[in-house]
Amino acid sequence: MPVFCDQGEALSLIRLQGDVNICSAAEFKQILLAVLARGKDMRVDLSSVTDLDVSALQLLWAAEREAKGAGVGFSFAGQCLQDVAFALAAAGFEKFPPPAEPI
Amino acid sequence: MPKSPNDQALDKYRQAFQEEAREVLVELESALLELNENQNDQGLVGRVFRALHTIKGSGSMFGFDELAAFAHDLETAFDEVRTGRLNVTSGLLDVALVALDQIKAQLEEAAGGPPADRAVSGEILAKLHALTGSAEPSPVPQVPSAPQSPLAATGAVCAWKIHFCPGPDLLRNGGNPMLLLGELKQLGELHASASMAAIPRLEELDPERCYISWDMLLTTAAEREAIRDVFIFVEDSCELTIEPDLAPAGQAAEATPSALPQRRSGYGRRSYDSPDNASSIRVPAARLDQFVNLVGELVTVQARLGEVAARRDDVEVTAVSEEIERLTAALRENSMSIRMLPIRATFERFRRLVHDLARDLHKEVDLTIEGGDTELDKTVIDQLNDPLMHLIRNSMDHGIEPPADRIAAGKPSTATICLSAKHSGASVLIGVSDDGAGINAEAVRARAVEKGLVASDSQLTEREILSLILAPGFSTAEQVTDVSGRGVGMDVVRRNVEALRGTVEIASKPGAGTNVTLRLPLTMAIIDGLLVRIGLCYFVMPLATTLECIELTHQDVEKANGKHLADIRGELIPYIHLREYFNIHTERPEREQIMLTETEEGRYGFVVDQVLGDHQTVIKNLGRVYRKRQAGCIYTKGSW
Repeated sequence: MPVFCDQGEALSLIRLQGDVNICSAAEFKQILLAVLARGKDMRVDLSSVTDLDVSALQLLWAAEREAKGAGVGFSFAGQCLQDVAFALAAAGFEKFPPPAEPI
Repeated sequence: MPKSPNDQALDKYRQAFQEEAREVLVELESALLELNENQNDQGLVGRVFRALHTIKGSGSMFGFDELAAFAHDLETAFDEVRTGRLNVTSGLLDVALVALDQIKAQLEEAAGGPPADRAVSGEILAKLHALTGSAEPSPVPQVPSAPQSPLAATGAVCAWKIHFCPGPDLLRNGGNPMLLLGELKQLGELHASASMAAIPRLEELDPERCYISWDMLLTTAAEREAIRDVFIFVEDSCELTIEPDLAPAGQAAEATPSALPQRRSGYGRRSYDSPDNASSIRVPAARLDQFVNLVGELVTVQARLGEVAARRDDVEVTAVSEEIERLTAALRENSMSIRMLPIRATFERFRRLVHDLARDLHKEVDLTIEGGDTELDKTVIDQLNDPLMHLIRNSMDHGIEPPADRIAAGKPSTATICLSAKHSGASVLIGVSDDGAGINAEAVRARAVEKGLVASDSQLTEREILSLILAPGFSTAEQVTDVSGRGVGMDVVRRNVEALRGTVEIASKPGAGTNVTLRLPLTMAIIDGLLVRIGLCYFVMPLATTLECIELTHQDVEKANGKHLADIRGELIPYIHLREYFNIHTERPEREQIMLTETEEGRYGFVVDQVLGDHQTVIKNLGRVYRKRQAGCIYTKGSW
């Protein structure tokens, strides 16, 4: 599965790897729900992602909205691969810029 | 000049949109009223938002730009609510309800009705923006839609506005919207803005469903068809509009995605093959009526065939007749079931009436609905609106007390009106009950005596007294209000219900409330009946209310000393001699028959000469030519 979660004391780190798409969307959703339930800040590492499809993007968007609503920190980490960044930008996903500093 | 096939198709879709929008508005109204009672319910906020989103999206798709623009501002307000930037308040909901009325008016205008008042739109939007704290609204266009611009010249660089909303199953079916956007980018300079507004809460999010849509600005030398070709494999399962950007030359390429308009018009296509639509189709009511009419004619012809076959001793004809009888019965059942609709939608419409009247009368009232899934004939449902409206208005105005009075009487400050429906034999019982002050039977009686409806010394049961309020012009209200009190409403209730071959029953307990029950026939089109004869006259009795047929001899009549009472297995049953009732002056047979029927009041008999057998009866309006007759029957031979 291309979604992994490290739950630290103050931060939950979600690492995405390879193609994150509809095949893993159901499990990705469960992981996001579990992380949100912890109430700790969350960070999503996109550095190893080779493809991020719409199902993953809308899950991330919903998670970010709910994290903000609950006062939980939500951030992205890791330099996106150029193809992923290009796809995100072309699709108009301004909410997912490649971060400036890697973790 | 005849319309082109494209224009005809657009007309068809526009009509479909109008029908769909009316249904969405019912859903929207219901959600707004529920939200008024549960202002923190995010699920209801989602329902409101989705309904507005649908009206906006579909409206702009089919050229209802003004309506879509109006809905867009409302949608934006409820998006603020969804994202927690704005609280639900009664003020916001009131504005939304008035806006809903304005959308209805705009739809009616589009359907050829009176023009909607544009000034009202402006006032509503001003109130909305004052509530949301956003900038003043842009003025609503004064004309329904702007003329379409000419197509871009072939080969010239043009800017195109593209709206792409994938169908919900696009991802499940292996589609990838990003690839499509990549292809578009190869055609020219692309600015894309993704709309996340439809994404639900994470817990409710179906991970395999596509919720995102895009508004794009593409500057390209490619023609419209080339752009459309990018979507060729998904076009039938998505919303797609491609239209030239009307911004002045030079500005188009500089436009940012956030500046892209949310409204679209003209050339779009929309698929109607979503899961809900795949299992149901939309049929105009008039076509359904025509279908049932034809089935009715077929039933009559089949009965004639049955008679002919019975007279001829021909095995082949009899076999064919029986086969047609079987098929006709199945077709009849089927056509009747198509006409049956759940009454919930009719009941739900009254939430708005209750909400508005409660506000105007300064009362607190909850509307509850029971048996909303009960199905009734479409004709019955169509004619129930007025009676229910009058009953609710009466209840709100006269029955339900102001909150302070209710508290003083030991009741909760919020009153309840309950609309209910349930089956009872071949009838449906529609109930309108409240927990208000009830009806003062003595006051009703006194007013009836004063109006000369009954004699002052007449002996009436409480039920008979209460039924007096159904008389034309009867009202005990001391004041005529905007809501009721003119004594017209209950008369309308009685007349409408009687026109449906129904009855009205009223029960009331002072201080505890009032129950009004409308007893209506289950179907209005074709009934199973028993054909009976008196002399040379034929009558049809409803089979569903007939218990049994028993012989009545002269000796039986003599034993009862001339009284119309029959001793049936030790029980004395009163009966009506239909020969006398209808003044039929033919010789009385030695043996007659009593048709025993069961009613709410007990068992009664109807005496006829002969019971001929079961008979499917088609019920129709007699039309203007025969308006002086109360009822008639076309016999299977075509005679009356």
